[in-house]
Amino acid sequence: MLSLFLPVFLVLLLLGFPVFFGLVFAPGILLWLNGQERDIVLLYRNVYNGMDSFPLMAIPFFMLAGELMNRGGITLRLVEFSQALMGHLRGGLAHVNVMSSMLFAGLSGSAVADVSALGSMLIPAMEKQGYSRRFAAAVTAASSVIGPIIPPSGIMIIYAYVMGESVAALFLAGIVPGILVGVGLMVMIALRADHWHLPQIGARASWGERGRASLKAFFPLMTPVIILGGILGGVFTPTEAAAIAVAYAILIGLFVMGSLKLSDLPDVLIRSGITSAVVLLLVGAAMAFKTVASLAHTPEMLAAFILSLSDNPLILLFLINVLLFIVGMFLDAGPAIIILGPILGPIFLELGVDPVHFAIIMAVNLTVGLATPPMGLVLFVTAAVSGLKVEEVVRGIAPMLVVHVAVIFLITYFPALCLTVPRLFGFVN
Amino acid sequence: MGALIGATKGLAKLNGALLALGRWLGAFLLALMVAAILAQVWYRYVIGNALAWPDEAARFLMLWMTGLMAPTAFRRGGFVAIDMIQLLMPRALAAALQLLLLALSLLVLAMAFRIGLSELSGLGARFATSSLWYPSGLMPLEWAKVPRGWMMASFHVGVTLLLLVNVELLLRAVLGLVGRDGELPAIAQDATLAGAE
Repeated sequence: MLSLFLPVFLVLLLLGFPVFFGLVFAPGILLWLNGQERDIVLLYRNVYNGMDSFPLMAIPFFMLAGELMNRGGITLRLVEFSQALMGHLRGGLAHVNVMSSMLFAGLSGSAVADVSALGSMLIPAMEKQGYSRRFAAAVTAASSVIGPIIPPSGIMIIYAYVMGESVAALFLAGIVPGILVGVGLMVMIALRADHWHLPQIGARASWGERGRASLKAFFPLMTPVIILGGILGGVFTPTEAAAIAVAYAILIGLFVMGSLKLSDLPDVLIRSGITSAVVLLLVGAAMAFKTVASLAHTPEMLAAFILSLSDNPLILLFLINVLLFIVGMFLDAGPAIIILGPILGPIFLELGVDPVHFAIIMAVNLTVGLATPPMGLVLFVTAAVSGLKVEEVVRGIAPMLVVHVAVIFLITYFPALCLTVPRLFGFVN
Repeated sequence: MGALIGATKGLAKLNGALLALGRWLGAFLLALMVAAILAQVWYRYVIGNALAWPDEAARFLMLWMTGLMAPTAFRRGGFVAIDMIQLLMPRALAAALQLLLLALSLLVLAMAFRIGLSELSGLGARFATSSLWYPSGLMPLEWAKVPRGWMMASFHVGVTLLLLVNVELLLRAVLGLVGRDGELPAIAQDATLAGAE
């Protein structure tokens, strides 16, 4: 009877039941029908205990740091820096858009923050230079998914907590895939420049101009260095590094760049707090869900089913990628990881897939889902920022998804792409 | 129907005020969390004296922040859900389905409320936290350890606020089914400290 909780949950989810309630209702109702009413109390305790975690605190802190950087005008400095380096190329602002996303990813770790911050600035600027608005919006949306792949990353923290992995290992493993997506998009822009009639506007910046732009962007660019350097150097835990990032964002916003006002802080705190509260509740519910999944032997049953399809890990990884891609089309990356991580993770661990490798496959695939129709959050935000219809953004982004899919398959079948960096730092054997 | 509209308006006003207070407190608690962790780092590396309390204090604050701020997200439709099927349905059917789902979430929250009450009056709530103290007497000044129940109360308060929001949303959905929801004040979507919703 208890094993039915997964189908019940999926049906409720498809009908529009909020994920948080579904995660506790589906196992709860079956425990009740099974006469295990006392275990419902354990479900309640698991939700509470799941939220009561020091490592989880990194989530509100990184969200707050991202909001502060965004509000403090740091985005403009990053764009100017990218412009100095790449603005002279054919399709220069498109390249600048992608590069700014890669740099912004080192600060915020959120695709939506990337679209709102960079999109509102770069889409009108690109349009003014002769790019179609559809293309500008599509490049913004396609490159924004780099945000949660390059560290710091909210979904990596969630995965690490739910699955008991090292946050630092996942952060390091995300670097190469994130760069691959960015470089892949730039290559595509260069190759398709004729087809898309991309303009060449800017002259090559002098080394002096590049130096000045680098100096202006120096403090924002130091953020990922401080975060990763602190964690890898054993100076801070990821949670402490996130708090340091908040303090750093406030200091440079208020005193160095002068673009953040004290009166901005309450609104920033509220926005970050509300978003974090939803994620923390979800993670708590996921811990309860995970316990019931183990009690009901769900991973074992699913493993038996999956292994009946094939015993070749390469084929199974392909099938899982297809499944994740489909799930990503309907569900945000965070909740999807919370639901699928505890179910799929143990199966692939048993098949000999490295847990960090599997985590990155899941994270990248589900993050790409943010930019795929019909339910990609990034598409909706891009539509709102650009003033286009969602369908137009979808038509624009469709060819660019080839890059994302190619990267997913590259990291799936060449694990070294994800594992080499964490291996160099001793996080993976 | 007039009584139902009146009750919904009253509950909306109550929720608007409570959640605004929750947001204000939650923002303050988030700032305190950052301060606690920075104090931890400062004392460990600069003063050379690691403090015992910041870890537990920051978790205490985070749990309360979650309890106080998550209900705002629920009221504004910010709980993650797949609403595609509802969007494809005829309006009346989608409204009926929404009503059913709100009834199910009400069931979850009512159960959680009941369990929360017994948890708070149970033995677990009386255990002390390991590093948090409060003044239990002023003349002379005495200190006692903060009971775990104070931490657990955060979840119960969160569930209670979610329950109130759920009832309001349910009443709104009922009125929506009969086409009278236009008479209700809209739920404000912007994240402000202001009490007015």
